[in-house]
Amino acid sequence: MNNEPHILVIDDEQQIQRAIRTILTEKGFRVTTASRGEEGLTLAAANEPDIIILDLGLPDMDGVEVCTRLREWTQCPIIILSVRDSERDKVAALDKGADDYLTKPFGIEELLARVRVALRHSTRAQGAQSKVIKAGALTIDLAWHIVKRDDEEVKLTGTEHKLLAYLAANHGRVLTHQSILIQVWGPADADHTEYLRVYMRQLRKKLEADPERPQYILTEPGIGYRFIADE
Amino acid sequence: MRISSFISRSGQYFLAIGSIALTTAIFFTVREALDATVVALLYLIPLGLITAFWGLAPGITSALITFLTFNYFFIPPYYTLAVHRPADVVILLVFLVVAVVISQLVGRMQESLVTATAREREATQLYELSAALTGLHGDHAITQILAKQVRAVSQGEYVEIRITGAESFAFHLPETTSPLRPPELIVTIQTARDALGEILLWRAAPTISLGEKRLLETFASQGALALERARLAQTESRAKVLEESDHLKSILLSSVSHELRTPLSTIKAAASSLRGNEVSWDSPARPELIAAIDDEADHLNMLVGNLLDMSRIESGALKPKREWNILSEILGSVLARMRYSAEEHKFKVDVPENLPFVPVDYVQMEQVFTNLVSNSLKYAPSNTIICIRANIEGDTVRVQVRNQGPQVPSEHLERIFDKFYRITAADRVTGTGLGLSICKGIIEAHGGRIWAENMSDGFAFNFTLPLTWEGAPPPQFPMDTETE
Repeated sequence: MNNEPHILVIDDEQQIQRAIRTILTEKGFRVTTASRGEEGLTLAAANEPDIIILDLGLPDMDGVEVCTRLREWTQCPIIILSVRDSERDKVAALDKGADDYLTKPFGIEELLARVRVALRHSTRAQGAQSKVIKAGALTIDLAWHIVKRDDEEVKLTGTEHKLLAYLAANHGRVLTHQSILIQVWGPADADHTEYLRVYMRQLRKKLEADPERPQYILTEPGIGYRFIADE
Repeated sequence: MRISSFISRSGQYFLAIGSIALTTAIFFTVREALDATVVALLYLIPLGLITAFWGLAPGITSALITFLTFNYFFIPPYYTLAVHRPADVVILLVFLVVAVVISQLVGRMQESLVTATAREREATQLYELSAALTGLHGDHAITQILAKQVRAVSQGEYVEIRITGAESFAFHLPETTSPLRPPELIVTIQTARDALGEILLWRAAPTISLGEKRLLETFASQGALALERARLAQTESRAKVLEESDHLKSILLSSVSHELRTPLSTIKAAASSLRGNEVSWDSPARPELIAAIDDEADHLNMLVGNLLDMSRIESGALKPKREWNILSEILGSVLARMRYSAEEHKFKVDVPENLPFVPVDYVQMEQVFTNLVSNSLKYAPSNTIICIRANIEGDTVRVQVRNQGPQVPSEHLERIFDKFYRITAADRVTGTGLGLSICKGIIEAHGGRIWAENMSDGFAFNFTLPLTWEGAPPPQFPMDTETE
């Protein structure tokens, strides 16, 4: 009946609901809203939305809990909304399966960018993953382990390559320190943020035009990193 | 205790009787040379001495015994208690009366001397207690002194003082656990308004006398006074703190409402003019107004964030989430973000890349750099250099943010980190007046120190951060030796 993507917004603040609904409807999305956690879970089960936007500060239950319960049965992308200075909650929700986050107050381009990334990842989960990722001057061939900058191959060490491949495969999404460490170094090193700091700096030196002002590998303060590729 | 006191009391009698026996023996050897009246007179000497040394009761007892021995040995017929001459009867009776009267007089004097000495000792002890309690402000200190003095004065085996109320506790001497039996004496520490606690004393023997009980009650009321005084002082200082924080809150409110209203006015003006169709669709003012709304919303967000940070610092809820970080990375991202607001200034960064890892909260350190740099940008004239450098000093890293702005009078150097502190009233640069105090809060939460100083050509902020984290030194940079 409807082909436009369906977004479920779970937020108890009426003004935020109104703003998000207006903007997303304008952009061609179908929007359903819920103001409580239980209501959101019910609506998610009934409507099977394409994306869930979830506020972490709900009146009836903890947002992280909502995340956990959603992940028990659906892989639907979850974008969490939260206020500044709640890095701990954000990281907890991301590690519990949320896909991305937005800090209130947010710009609408940010929201749309997150929604686009989430949609792309959810459709990609069903179809084939693209093996070559382009980001500005960079070309990353995930299958052949080749990274080129302005058509010139960049020599990467094994760990650097693993790291870049994980970032690039999830381009547009925020990846928490812990998820990267577990993916690249293994669960035993999940707390060694300093590895990340060093390797990210090395990678930036090899890939970025100005390592101090990175365009591809962005730091998400207190949370993790995000790789920005071409759309 | 009980037995030994019995021995000492009966000992006095033995000694008294012994002395009488001795004097009787001496007089007996010279009986022929002495007249009975002289003997009677001489007998009064040991009697007086006995009463003086050993008290009234042994004195009277000795007087009665002496009456008998005098009669038996020195009044003819000898070795009987019978008296033949009427004159001897008079001597005997006079002797008895005089002996008893002398004993009583001496005994009374002796007793009042003892009482006077005891009174004096009590007064001294009370004075010592009140002197020791003067100037004490804590319940614990007062209780300790009180327990010590009570134990010293009472010679008790065990003294415990229990303080009741919001913060109840007990202090006891000696350190061991209390005797199993109930205490011999309990005295309430009572003020005019309510009971503050009680003194428990264990002393089986000698039994606690009325006088001692009275003394301990006086001690308790001294203690009560000291405790009450301490509590009043605490309440007063708490009231002062509250008053001060109330004052700061009203400054905060006026500062905040002013600061919030400025961006709000811009937003309101821009939004209403866009809504009211007063700006035509193709006017160049349109994007400008929209940008103003966006910028001012960000500004508002920053103000609110600062307020939140401040309240978190004040309530002690600002806990750094430490990780081993690279200082140059944090600084780099801050400077990259600030490059638009810093177009009129130049940055000179001297933070070596091979500086060890620093155990800091990434987000909070971003905030410190942002606030220090934006403060420098505010005061330093255009086209000057803002220099940021870091170096190792012992087991800390020292960071300096230096600008070529105006110097700050030295008496203000410390206070610029206070909330809402402005050097002059006319100094109305935009901001909440919280930026530097937030920096101070964050640096101190990290175990570092922050200070400002005047330089030959400007002004500088300095801060230090410990390089160790829970005693552990920074990890070595992991070496990536593998190649592809």
